Amino acid sequence: MANYFNTLPLREQLEQLSHAEFMDNTEFTDGVNALKGKKIVIVGCGAQGLNQGLNLRDSGLDVSYALRKEAIEQKRDSWKNATDNNFNVGTYEELIPTADLVINLTPDKQHTSVINAVMPLMKEGATLSYSHGFNIVEEGMQIRKDITVIMVAPKCPGSEVRAEYLRGFGVPTLIAVHPENDPQGKGWAEAKAYCVGTGGHKAGVLKSSFVAEVKSDLMGEQTILCGLLQTGSILSFDKMIEKGIEAGYASKLVQYGVEVITEALKHGGVSGMMDRLSNPAKVKAFEISEELKDIMRPLFQKHQDDIMSGHFSKTMMEDWANGDANLLKWRAETGETAFEKTPAGDVKINEQEYFDNYTLMVAFIRAGVELAFETMVEAGIKPESAYYESLHETPLIANTIARKKLFEMNRVISDTAEYGCYLFDQACKPLLADFMKTVDTDIVGKNFNEGRDAAVDNAQLVVINEILRDHPVEIVGRKLRKAMTAMKAIKTV
Amino acid sequence: MVDPVVHIANLTIQYGKDTVLHGLNWQIFPGEQWILGGPSGTGKTTLAKAIAGQLKYEGTIAFHLDPNSPLPAKIHYVSNWFQFTNLEGDRNFYYQQRYNKFAKNDTLTVFAELKHFAQEEQLSFDNVRSYLTIFGFENFKDQQLIELSSGEHKRLQLIKALWLQPQVLIIDQPYTGLDAQSRKDLNQIFDQLADQGVSLLLISNDDEQPNCINRFAEIQDGQIVIRQSSEELSRGLPRTRKALPYFLQRAPEVSSQVMVKMNKINISYGEKQVLKNIDWEVKAGEKWLLQGHNGSGKSTLLSLINGDHPQAYANDIHLFGKKRGSGESIWDIKEHLGIISPELHWYYDMNANVGQTIASGFFDSMSLYQRLGFEQQQKLEQILHFFDLKEVKHKTLGSLPLGQQRLVLLARTIVKHPELLILDEPCQGLDKEQTQYFNDVIDDLSKSGQTLIYVGHFQTQLPTCIDNKIVLEKGEVKAVTEVIHKNEALST
Repeated sequence: MANYFNTLPLREQLEQLSHAEFMDNTEFTDGVNALKGKKIVIVGCGAQGLNQGLNLRDSGLDVSYALRKEAIEQKRDSWKNATDNNFNVGTYEELIPTADLVINLTPDKQHTSVINAVMPLMKEGATLSYSHGFNIVEEGMQIRKDITVIMVAPKCPGSEVRAEYLRGFGVPTLIAVHPENDPQGKGWAEAKAYCVGTGGHKAGVLKSSFVAEVKSDLMGEQTILCGLLQTGSILSFDKMIEKGIEAGYASKLVQYGVEVITEALKHGGVSGMMDRLSNPAKVKAFEISEELKDIMRPLFQKHQDDIMSGHFSKTMMEDWANGDANLLKWRAETGETAFEKTPAGDVKINEQEYFDNYTLMVAFIRAGVELAFETMVEAGIKPESAYYESLHETPLIANTIARKKLFEMNRVISDTAEYGCYLFDQACKPLLADFMKTVDTDIVGKNFNEGRDAAVDNAQLVVINEILRDHPVEIVGRKLRKAMTAMKAIKTV
Repeated sequence: MVDPVVHIANLTIQYGKDTVLHGLNWQIFPGEQWILGGPSGTGKTTLAKAIAGQLKYEGTIAFHLDPNSPLPAKIHYVSNWFQFTNLEGDRNFYYQQRYNKFAKNDTLTVFAELKHFAQEEQLSFDNVRSYLTIFGFENFKDQQLIELSSGEHKRLQLIKALWLQPQVLIIDQPYTGLDAQSRKDLNQIFDQLADQGVSLLLISNDDEQPNCINRFAEIQDGQIVIRQSSEELSRGLPRTRKALPYFLQRAPEVSSQVMVKMNKINISYGEKQVLKNIDWEVKAGEKWLLQGHNGSGKSTLLSLINGDHPQAYANDIHLFGKKRGSGESIWDIKEHLGIISPELHWYYDMNANVGQTIASGFFDSMSLYQRLGFEQQQKLEQILHFFDLKEVKHKTLGSLPLGQQRLVLLARTIVKHPELLILDEPCQGLDKEQTQYFNDVIDDLSKSGQTLIYVGHFQTQLPTCIDNKIVLEKGEVKAVTEVIHKNEALST
């Protein structure tokens, strides 16, 4: 199979990369009608598979689950999930031939084998849905020409997809139709209906393409989302230990700090996060993040280049073929870091303290979000897509670190993201070695404001605030957050 | 002179501009067992939380605990509302979650939770067994916390408190969600604890009290006022009965004469069967009382009607004239009905303001995510006026006293004038006057032909309009009766 993206002429590559349109509510007035009465068969019943299926059924659609024979015979978790919730469960052979829509919600790595098993069984003119385009774009999977290929990708963990639906809301969702596989022109109608069935239409839908989704998703997860959070966490912890900060405190500050800090990012973007610092700390964080951006820019660009050229997916698939040798090695190394092995201490750190004592992480996150966004946009990805894959997802990943540190983050994310994360981490640490020598506990471990007076230069602060607020990620972010949170609090009452 | 166990001096607590407690002084001496009563919203919960060290305050609260006593030198507080977290430490639950099955555990099991508590407090498991039996927890050990009903959670918190036997035990609304027998058992345990030297402080307005209670107090204008008996505790002002808003005076439009039809319903979780062979029909205009002990399956039965239970798809249920699983969405079902339950209250968005909360009833959502049309705005204003909630329209739900939160959620339930009203223990946490007022409203609504399913344990807390009764016992229908002689038929 050849890398699909690389088979396209340049203008077609750019055209597909630039697909990104925030959809208006009025586009969803037809509800789930395009799928009403049709047979939907979901392949895979993990967190996404189960929760999306529950939502689709509760929206009045006909849902069953196709599982591999062994999963059924051995009554694995996927089988339990489906049967305990009273879904009809069968083997591929039993259910796929009846399906009008097959939804593939298995892990990325299994896609090729799943599709090879499923495709011959699919009936003429049916639809196949993905929630990630890697298999189509990078592996170059060719789908039978009579089959329609769509993508519906909720940008939240499966449990959130269910929780928000039952509250009467939904989670932001990305939808796409593969241009090579829309023989009947029904792709968009079905993608929209599927999206309504999961509740996504209430929280904001981005019309994208397989290519744009894959190239931006890979970039985001490797750099800001997982890579930089991992590197930043480890370096911060090691620095604190080196400077004599109590280990339990350091561990807790790092483990929970990213979550608390990115919560501010979620609500108010980069400037909202920076506004949580005192004025002098903000000036400091601004200065170090500028420095960090200069140091890391070549690395971010290399990642984007390797993703665009297909070099990244090629080397990763070689590692798959090699029994995941590199992945497993790097995973083990991460498990051995001092940060992983030091439990969070039994100390109380209040919310503001996470900002005041961890200015360095605020700087890391500003640098990472802006760099990832800038690099994606320079490569032809639209700001809307770049926003979702950088700023929007950062708090979601930070949340996994707060649960059980980096090991947990790497367990929850896909193998693809994990592999890219380690690649980044390996390269980024040496890159930052000189910078880290300049770091002291005033920006990591202790309150930056301690022993300083709060004075700042007015003109300097105004300039910094303008630079922060006028960054393109903030401009598109304000627009998208507004649409999403038309959401949580319509305060007209 | 004996030192007071708890000595409060000049205690002042403010929420923003509102002063809740104002220079309050109070002493609790050894051997005293207190009831703190009085109307909703006077600051009882605030005081309890301050004593428990959960709130910031001005003034002093001093304790003189006995280091030589066999009882732990601790102050233990059981809140009226219990929040727990999942294994990952966050709280993003939804109230239907216990009906959705996911093979990986999200929360601790009851057993793990108890074990954790035992370790923390160095308790022996032998001492908890009798409580587990009394509160019906023998079979709950492997259940996940998320799978418990609100009543079961309350009881789990009680079990932990009784097991600990702290020198000072403060319980906010100890009887919430308990059936008559459990209440009696609990009162006996309170008497035993008092004998052993535990100082009790119960926040309650219930008639049934343990015998050991010997002191009574309430809060007025932010100060403690001592009373001689529970009869002397003041009551909330009886509310003047107003005419229902115009749009609620006519009968709701009915989509089917048979609203609910269940045929041989069976629900089980693994080995455990929760409902067995249930047949039940609810016709338009009927007013049902649904009764049964804690854990008899009432909430599960109701969750089948409001579209919340996934196993509804595997059973023979007709709702509002349509077979369940024939292409309807849960939102199509919810459109026909209005529901209030302790679980819904528990998981409702406490950051929504009162206006938004009521308006969310138009859309059956757990917060307001849509804009209101003109007619909906009008109805909202009428409802706010009817329930005297205009003044608090912009306050967040979480900032109101529990009783008033319930009224807001009742308003949410009826604002769309649903065909079927499901009221699952709606008066939990309300004081007597609020309960009376609430049930009067239900009676008024019923005059226009409103169909109703009402869950309540206590005869004194029921509306008079009830005309049918179904009783569950261990997941089976024990009796279905038409209610003629109301007073006898309605007691459990």
